[in-house]
Amino acid sequence: MEKKDIIRTVMEKEYQISPEAVELIYSSNSPEDLLKYVLSTVNASVIVISIEDIDLEGFDAFSAGESHSDKIHASSTEERKILSGTSILSSRSDNPSSEPDSFLVPDPLSEPVLSSEPDVITTASDPSIKLSQDDVPDSSVQGIVLDKAYEPDPDIPDASNIQDIPDASNTPNTPNTLNTQSITVLSDEALASDLASDSFSSVKTTTPTFSFHPSLDANRPVSSFFGQENSLSSIPSNRSFRTEPSSSTSERGIFSSSIDEYKHYPGKNPVTVVSDITGHSTCVGEYMQFVQYFRDRYSRLSEIIRSRINARPIESLKRRSFRRGGDGGSEEISIIGMVSDINSTTNGHKILSLEDPTGSFSVLIRNSDKELFELASKILLDEVIGVTGSITNDGSLMIATKLIQPDVPNNVQRRTGSHGKAILISDVHVGSSQFMEDAWLDFLDFLKGESDSEDMRELAASVRYLVVAGDIVDGIGIYPDQELELDILDVYDQYRKAAEYFREIPEHIRVIISPGNHDAVRQAEPQPALPESIQAYFSENIVFVGNPAFLELDGVRLLIYHGRSIDDLVASVPGVSYQEPAGAVLEMLKRRHLAPTYGSRVSISPEKKDYFIIDPVPDIIHTGHVHTLGVQHYKNVLLVNSGTWQGQTEFQKRVNLVPVPARVPIVDLENFDVKILPFD
Amino acid sequence: MGETIASTEMHEYFDELEARLKEAIKIANAARARGGDPKPVVEIPLAKDLADRVENLIGVEGVAAKIRVLEEKMSREECALEIGRQVAEGEVGNFTTKKDAVEAAIRVSMAVITEGVVAAPIEGINKVELGKNDDGSEYIRIFYSGPIRSAGGTAQALSVLVGDYVRRGIGIDRYKPRPEEVERYVEEVVLYKRVASLQYMPSEDEIRLIVKNCPVCIDGDPTEEAEVEGHRDLERIGTNRIRGGMCLVLAEGLALKAPKVKKHVNKLHMDGWDWLDILIGGTKTGGDEEDEQKNKIKPKDKYIRDLIAGRPVFSHPSRPGGFRLRYGRSRNTSFAAAGINPATMVLLDDFVTNGTQLKVERPGKAAAMSAVDSIEGPTVRLHSGDLVRVDDIKEAYELRSQVEVIVDIGEILINYGDFLENNHPLMPSPYVFEWWHYDYEAACSEKIPEDELKDPSSALALRLAEEYDVPLHPKFTYLWHDINRTEFEALRKFVAERGNFSVEDGILRLPLKACMENGVKLVLEKLLVLHRVKADTILIKEALPFILCLGLDCHLKEKAQIPDTDDMVNAAALLSGFKVLPRAPSRIGARMGRPEKANLRKMSPAAQVLFPIGNAGGLTRNLAVASNYSASMNGKIGEIEVEMGIRECPACGKETYFWRCDCGEYTRPKLFCLRCKIEVRNSETCPKCGRKLTSVANVKLDFHSIYKQAFENVGEREKTDLIKGVKRLMNGQMTPEPLEKGILRAKHDVYIFKDGTVRYDMSDIPLTHIRADEIGITAAKLQELGYVEDVYGNPLERDDQVVCLKVQDLVISYDGGEYMLRTAQYVDDLLVKYYGVEPYYNAKTIQDLVGVLLIGLAPHTSAGVLGRLIGFTRASVGYAHPFFHASKRRNCDGDEDCIMLLMDGILNFSRAYLPEKRGGKMDAPLVLTTRIDPKEVDKEAHNIDVPARYPLEFYRATQEIKNPTELEGIMDLVSSRLGTPEQYEHFMFTHDTSDIAAGPLNSSYKTLGSMIEKMEAQLSLANKIRAVDAPDVAERVLKSHFLPDLLGNLRAFSRQRMRCIKCGEKFRRPPLTGACPKCGGNVILTVHEGAVRKYLEISKEIGERYGVSSYTQQRIELLDKDICSLFENHRVKQLGLSDFMSGSAR
Repeated sequence: MEKKDIIRTVMEKEYQISPEAVELIYSSNSPEDLLKYVLSTVNASVIVISIEDIDLEGFDAFSAGESHSDKIHASSTEERKILSGTSILSSRSDNPSSEPDSFLVPDPLSEPVLSSEPDVITTASDPSIKLSQDDVPDSSVQGIVLDKAYEPDPDIPDASNIQDIPDASNTPNTPNTLNTQSITVLSDEALASDLASDSFSSVKTTTPTFSFHPSLDANRPVSSFFGQENSLSSIPSNRSFRTEPSSSTSERGIFSSSIDEYKHYPGKNPVTVVSDITGHSTCVGEYMQFVQYFRDRYSRLSEIIRSRINARPIESLKRRSFRRGGDGGSEEISIIGMVSDINSTTNGHKILSLEDPTGSFSVLIRNSDKELFELASKILLDEVIGVTGSITNDGSLMIATKLIQPDVPNNVQRRTGSHGKAILISDVHVGSSQFMEDAWLDFLDFLKGESDSEDMRELAASVRYLVVAGDIVDGIGIYPDQELELDILDVYDQYRKAAEYFREIPEHIRVIISPGNHDAVRQAEPQPALPESIQAYFSENIVFVGNPAFLELDGVRLLIYHGRSIDDLVASVPGVSYQEPAGAVLEMLKRRHLAPTYGSRVSISPEKKDYFIIDPVPDIIHTGHVHTLGVQHYKNVLLVNSGTWQGQTEFQKRVNLVPVPARVPIVDLENFDVKILPFD
Repeated sequence: MGETIASTEMHEYFDELEARLKEAIKIANAARARGGDPKPVVEIPLAKDLADRVENLIGVEGVAAKIRVLEEKMSREECALEIGRQVAEGEVGNFTTKKDAVEAAIRVSMAVITEGVVAAPIEGINKVELGKNDDGSEYIRIFYSGPIRSAGGTAQALSVLVGDYVRRGIGIDRYKPRPEEVERYVEEVVLYKRVASLQYMPSEDEIRLIVKNCPVCIDGDPTEEAEVEGHRDLERIGTNRIRGGMCLVLAEGLALKAPKVKKHVNKLHMDGWDWLDILIGGTKTGGDEEDEQKNKIKPKDKYIRDLIAGRPVFSHPSRPGGFRLRYGRSRNTSFAAAGINPATMVLLDDFVTNGTQLKVERPGKAAAMSAVDSIEGPTVRLHSGDLVRVDDIKEAYELRSQVEVIVDIGEILINYGDFLENNHPLMPSPYVFEWWHYDYEAACSEKIPEDELKDPSSALALRLAEEYDVPLHPKFTYLWHDINRTEFEALRKFVAERGNFSVEDGILRLPLKACMENGVKLVLEKLLVLHRVKADTILIKEALPFILCLGLDCHLKEKAQIPDTDDMVNAAALLSGFKVLPRAPSRIGARMGRPEKANLRKMSPAAQVLFPIGNAGGLTRNLAVASNYSASMNGKIGEIEVEMGIRECPACGKETYFWRCDCGEYTRPKLFCLRCKIEVRNSETCPKCGRKLTSVANVKLDFHSIYKQAFENVGEREKTDLIKGVKRLMNGQMTPEPLEKGILRAKHDVYIFKDGTVRYDMSDIPLTHIRADEIGITAAKLQELGYVEDVYGNPLERDDQVVCLKVQDLVISYDGGEYMLRTAQYVDDLLVKYYGVEPYYNAKTIQDLVGVLLIGLAPHTSAGVLGRLIGFTRASVGYAHPFFHASKRRNCDGDEDCIMLLMDGILNFSRAYLPEKRGGKMDAPLVLTTRIDPKEVDKEAHNIDVPARYPLEFYRATQEIKNPTELEGIMDLVSSRLGTPEQYEHFMFTHDTSDIAAGPLNSSYKTLGSMIEKMEAQLSLANKIRAVDAPDVAERVLKSHFLPDLLGNLRAFSRQRMRCIKCGEKFRRPPLTGACPKCGGNVILTVHEGAVRKYLEISKEIGERYGVSSYTQQRIELLDKDICSLFENHRVKQLGLSDFMSGSAR
């Protein structure tokens, strides 16, 4: 193990390390083991691992204790665990009670986990944990804990290699895999936190020695529901399987982002929340969280691309050119990177700077290659793309011949839908002086089945879902002098009014409300659902979700996103306009990302997981925000930008934006046909 | 321009200045001839007049001579247009293309209009291009950029006119905009107003009108980051970003100054500008000007719209208790500087002092403050219940802790000229002593001593009123207009029933408790009837005039019924039988703008020598560190890699970075073409590809030896531990300064600006008269400096005689004096040790500096003005004659500019050091004006009035709210003295002050610590002042400062850039590797949670404490939740925040 391997391993674990610490580990008798030990014991809040974070005494104690354990058994267990996400998932749901009998780790199933409020599990009542939290862990205690928590594997020297070993095992697990798994050499962060069991993570947060990922996902009833679904399939989290997610999308109920527990609203019109930030925001505003956020984006999107090209790490390009000498062959190679910069040369070529976790490289797109150049001119900052091309002789530049976006694979089959209709609206703006109440009341009348025409009444009866993609009220303080354009100045009164309206919607329609930038939740996206105090104004059967939110409506997959990023896309992708907003959504889909560019109009909260990634491919993407209507089908995905219920504002007049109010797209859930119902 | 018209004495003064300037230049030339600088001669050309300056600034030969001819027979503006035409048509100058000629023409014209002082003509117009109309014809596009701002609206507007004027002469068509282009302008200007700010915002239709009709295309380079959203990617508009220069010219130029443009259009009989009439007609309707013509001055709240935390409001618009207008001029006011009593400064918790800028309701937007103790101070209610007026600063300090309420903040002295300059209708003058004196003179022949007239007894006031029908003296005129009829009736009834008046001592006694209960005390306070409280009794001294005005006799019996009127001034007059005039009809609202400034100029980061050391000197850019730097373990010590311009010796061919070779020969830049990789001699462009050549290369410098050598050269011991260099040079050929200069600067602890000069910044305050004893010198010294008589024509003998200040003489702060002393010592060291010549200043104390020559230079300008230091002041300001300020194109509304020592400027300044970027030539002494001709200074200075008293007609005219221009004829203005020797001399003032620098030393804005402390002070003052509505202040501060700050930081957090702590590299987003890809250092956030939360708690608290609107409170509440949602781990939170905190504490 060389020093740079130490650094890389640490990086992979999303820590940084001081040179002194590298030196210390490097000079130890068994650097690998020490490193693993350090990584498993270091406090998750540490960003840079320094000498102080390396507990040599603890390691000695640990090594001593380790020798008592059954190495062979441990290593084989280890291998299974690492290699088979599936089996772990299965084991977790299949053998829910087979938890280790550790005195430190509370039994996750015995009492707290079964409660419906999983995150309130506290271990504070357990005196032994108090002890280990408050005192410097004495080595013997730690030794025992680590004995369970950490099983060294002599066959796997470096965490980064593990990914490359093919999926080998389906064997059900031994009972204690759950805990050990999350703490050991897993390189896959999502998988890790996925597997970090409820009980374990709660221990981690109260016991600094163990903290690893602060995620505490533990909605046992719900997750076990899906756990079973998962176990029916043979497909684990998207990051451990290599084939294009299209294959996964053919499976019902399998979602790559199984980090979160799901909420399920049963009934005649069931709703399942598959991915939603609500209650899971982990941002506390540290630098490393930003890094993690982008790493997650890179690793998940690059996986999608990786199934189509044989890409190598960027760092290897540099070494290669070093070695090359005079042969100067123009062999084609591929890389996958996140765009960090876009420039034009004086001669009009484009230069993209691509970055992966190993380094960065410049890619030249010649303007003579018309098709490629046109594609390149649509490339956005911070999207993840694959590039194929050849390296120039001096090894400084890649001349691209092919650009690959994650896109939706061509072989996505039309999925069978459900029955009935869904209505997609957004940007109601209750409280604005431009809110078109008459049209809105007409719309409510329609929903109530009080339309004049028989056809409309029939149509109304077939409506099962009403989805609101944000900006339900106009809010306050969203832009300067907004108070001059408000009819209702009190934001809570705005919601009360909105709730009044929504109360009129008949019960056979399931209403789903996601927030937007005018709503009373945090502005940074992903936005959680409206706060409970506001939800309380509304009828109980309304489902409140975050923004974005990935839902399943009786089998139909719907991705809701308010659409803040459309402003960015209009500004930077040629040909995308406010008049045809579905075009912007199409650009998102091609990038498999709802808001590719960082630092522009979209405020982000750096979460562990990039909630903007479009994976798996949904049946419908529903956006709003720009107040214009657009419907488009793309590779069996329905893209809808719903209009608004607000007339033209002063601001829109100035920027020449003509809104499309009171037009309602209604989607047939069986065949995804869309009709537009006018209410103006 | 002809000879300066001045008295012999003034001529002697100018000649003396010029002689000493020439001598200094001779010394500097001799020193520079030794080859220690980029050029062997002084690089600041002298300009005697405007014509010289224009030619030096723009560099079109022959222009100066033409201008002198044209100036003889026409006005400045006409001359500007005419010279523009001549340049465009080729009568002057020599240009190869039409485009170049037009470009030069516009620049020259603008330079003439702006007196050849500001940088706008060179920096504000980026280029002029010819575009193609859809019908195939050509049109002119003028590309304006940000620095056009410094030209001012009129010059901006006229530059467009010049463009039109010159295009006609050479046959270029007008601009025919496409409809989408028109709309683009509309969107862009509106957006600009939001992201930057505009003084005047034209309506959308006005913008359309201008763009559709303006014969020249007003274009510009992108200046803001913001992009338009609607009208993007237009073929003929090269950018989607906002063109700030264009927006300024369109809005503050053409739209705002349409009447002035129209005037010139008419004079020149130009067609195609008729649309201006619509613009002029359109903008005038419905404005408040019309209402004010109708004898009504309405409150204006513009000055408090954008309140800033920590800068208190002193009075809400036109509110009783706010500043009472007093017309007049003191020797340290006028020219946008107003006077207040130093006691006011103290009682306003020291927020205001000399030089502090106040944003005022009228007549202008802002004014600097000066201490004038001959006007009234504030009236305060003490905790004891006493109502006293504090006119004396000592008393103010004594009473400050006892003040409960500031009932009235006192008078503000504003001169007529400021109303004239702002074209603001004259507000009714209060009945003041100056006016009363006219009435007294007219009616009474008795000789009464002046002192007694100023402060008469009630008996004298009544006698004059009764016998001669002179209006009641201001001292006994109360603010009857501030109370209503009910209050008047209640007061009268109370005094009649409960009062006790003793004719012997003239004291009216009122029972305190009853007074409080039925509000009579408050009425007395509103009237400003001063009183004391003793033994539960209110005592009003000299109360008889007051009693009479209430319609009571001396036995407090009601004499007559209250007349049937709502005008209580009239009621008081009718009841008393005297003439009673309004005491405070005009109130002026104000808030604090900027604090005063007097501080040395430092670049950021500060530098002492323009010598590049890259990162070798660490964050402090320390040369001493760099000299011991080594790039790697076994790297050579002191070898650093920097960018430098390479020079070679023509004699021995040696390469060097210095101007002189070891062999003694002058070196020259070694130019090469980066692209063709060839060396080129005797050309500025590459003969192969035509690109610009450069001499810049990355070189490995043996800095250690250079550093050692430099110390040896100046004979200094190497003991200095900090000499601040720069990271990288900004000038085109990467010309460094000699290191020796840095060594000597570090020795004397002086810092430099980007051009190599040492500067000191001060707020501008006008001064027309001085006394030796208040500027730290003696009468003898003044005589030495050429002052012979005082303002009354008496020979100058005593230190306390008031003398008229000469136009180029300056009084600077003591701190500035100390800094200049250090600079002088540095210059002397430099002369002796570096240049090897005699020292020049030989100054040991600041007294030795009295009489030295200085250069005054204002920001955004490029022309220095020669000045002479004659004294020092405690105030943190720079006093100079208003003409001196005007010659730098500054007025005194709170601006600041700098001074430098003449010898420092001419020795150390070089154009070679100036950064090669937009605005690089601003703020550098590209020329030096040696003599101030009042005709050639900013016209604003012509509107200064200089009489000893204002005529009676003036006071009468103010009652009719006349336009100030109607009175120009009867006021003694500078403009009426132009062209006579009187333009320099015999100025007078109406109100004296005993000490120009009285008042607190520094504004408490500067002395208070955190923003929150300032905010607390601001609100506590708001609570004290009657004329201020504290909840409104709280709401405005929240709305215009704290909430935008919170919102902005919250947004910035979520879109932030990252930074490497080691090398300072910035990243748009974090690198995926986590660490800095350049140096491997740790990367950190640039916006932290702390920055976002900074004002949250205080906002919440203030919102609650002052009961701001629920809308604002809700906004704070939502922001609070937003911030919590963003920064709290939603999962961990449920475990309890404290658990989480202990876990993450590092």
